[in-house]
Amino acid sequence: MMGMMEGKYAVTMDLYPLESKEWNRIYPFYDHLKEGRLTTTVCKDCGKKAYPPRVICPECLSENLEWVDLPTRGRVLVVTEEEVGAPLGFKTPLIHAIVDLGELILFTKMTGVKMGELKEGDEAKLHVFPVDSVPVDGKKGTVIWQERVFYAFTKA
Amino acid sequence: MRNVCVIAGGQCQWGVRQATERDLFQEAGKACFEDNKIITNKDIDGLIVGSAFTERCSFQTHLAPLVAEHLGIKPKNICARVELLCATGSTGIIMAAALIKSGEADVVMVIGGEKLYTPQRWEVNYTALAASDHDFDTGMGLGLPPPAFAAVAKQHMKLYGTTEEQLAMVSIKNRRNGLNNSKGQYKEEITLEVAMNARAIVRPLKLFDCCPVTDGAAAIILAAEEKAKYLTDKPLVYFRGSAQASLHNMSANMPSWTTWEALKIAAQQAYNKARVTPQDIDVAQTHDCFTISEIIEYEDLGFCQKGEGGWFIEEGKSDFGGQVPVNTDGGLLSSGHPFGATGIRQGIEIIRQLRGDAVRQVEGARIGLTHNLSGLMAAHTVLIYGRDLE
Repeated sequence: MMGMMEGKYAVTMDLYPLESKEWNRIYPFYDHLKEGRLTTTVCKDCGKKAYPPRVICPECLSENLEWVDLPTRGRVLVVTEEEVGAPLGFKTPLIHAIVDLGELILFTKMTGVKMGELKEGDEAKLHVFPVDSVPVDGKKGTVIWQERVFYAFTKA
Repeated sequence: MRNVCVIAGGQCQWGVRQATERDLFQEAGKACFEDNKIITNKDIDGLIVGSAFTERCSFQTHLAPLVAEHLGIKPKNICARVELLCATGSTGIIMAAALIKSGEADVVMVIGGEKLYTPQRWEVNYTALAASDHDFDTGMGLGLPPPAFAAVAKQHMKLYGTTEEQLAMVSIKNRRNGLNNSKGQYKEEITLEVAMNARAIVRPLKLFDCCPVTDGAAAIILAAEEKAKYLTDKPLVYFRGSAQASLHNMSANMPSWTTWEALKIAAQQAYNKARVTPQDIDVAQTHDCFTISEIIEYEDLGFCQKGEGGWFIEEGKSDFGGQVPVNTDGGLLSSGHPFGATGIRQGIEIIRQLRGDAVRQVEGARIGLTHNLSGLMAAHTVLIYGRDLE
């Protein structure tokens, strides 16, 4: 049930993932983000590095995975600026960029830049920020608020 | 394996509709039966329903039995819903054809639609965020497609010299093609000046480079050839072949932004199954969700060389009288885009073109193609229809 219905908040319609250990097997990804690290999983059997991180290797289906760091700085290849119609939860203009991190190319939201400010060739760096906490039912009618973060990139 | 024919098709009025999802499905079903008076709801033994946003915009799941009940259809071989976002309708047609070919069903209606206008406007844009990888792309504000397709357009323009005017020409052509499509969302021509001066959505994409939000539904009926022969008095149109390919989902894993590798694979597979080449296609309905999409589709469907899509539209090769008329009923840009119905609308236009009773007829058309992309260019679907089996 949405918003006005008895004050309930529809967590499953939230923009952001359920990040904690109770809900998500790749929770270390979010713990690492809180440390300013962008990480993913690499397969110890076949060497496949996948993004987003997995619980099973998409190449050989092994579960023998370990966490590795990805670069947190890269170069802007393409910039897009959404002047109208940004969805609820995002401010207009909503600026995105294709950022080349070397071993990975991300299409990412860009924070802290104004219209026309970000250019191809600019350097970009990881930006981790808090997002809305998740209300989780506890015992005897209590609610536990689980904190969350998400990431974007910003001009370096 | 049995041969499969398409024997009826119809759609309701598309646009901003004062109607519920189930109203739209009823109207589309009736329009489909009106296209072929020989067949009735009692002849349908399978029903496949397509809708992408039914749970979100109508809070309704288990949709197929509901639609069956409303149309007086009592399916006995299949009654299910399919979903592949923008390719939902085409996916339903592929599933129906496979069931008929294998003998699991004889006469299947595929009906798809969306009710996208809701009392609060933010809801549909917000719901579009569910279309991308929730945990990794949605939080980036990806899901509403303009930023991704603007990134595609910028790169195509840089790599191949495609111009903003060429993008506008796609919209001008499709708006012109849709002028006499009574069921489409728009019936107004636009000029180059109007298109070029329209407000920016995400540059270089401006208002007329983007397909609209649309309420609508459409239905089509497929039947085994031996049944089709006595269930229609119109020329038979054969389902010749199809394919669907996907190489990635999340934006980070896109093999190429400007060459849609999954489209090339799906097209080649469909051409092989239909035993045709790109040069054999007489008429095509491709997924013009954005003008840049249609330009890349000319290239990756093999209608022209890579990088020449902009000149293909500029030289009129995708217009009536050209090499292969594309989006002859107006496409998504003029007809609108209720996801679950789009592939069905495309199929209806192709069967009319091949039967020879289209509103704007491509003279002597014998082989037609439809194409959808879905998600962040993440899956591509190609269907080929023919007046003949060979």
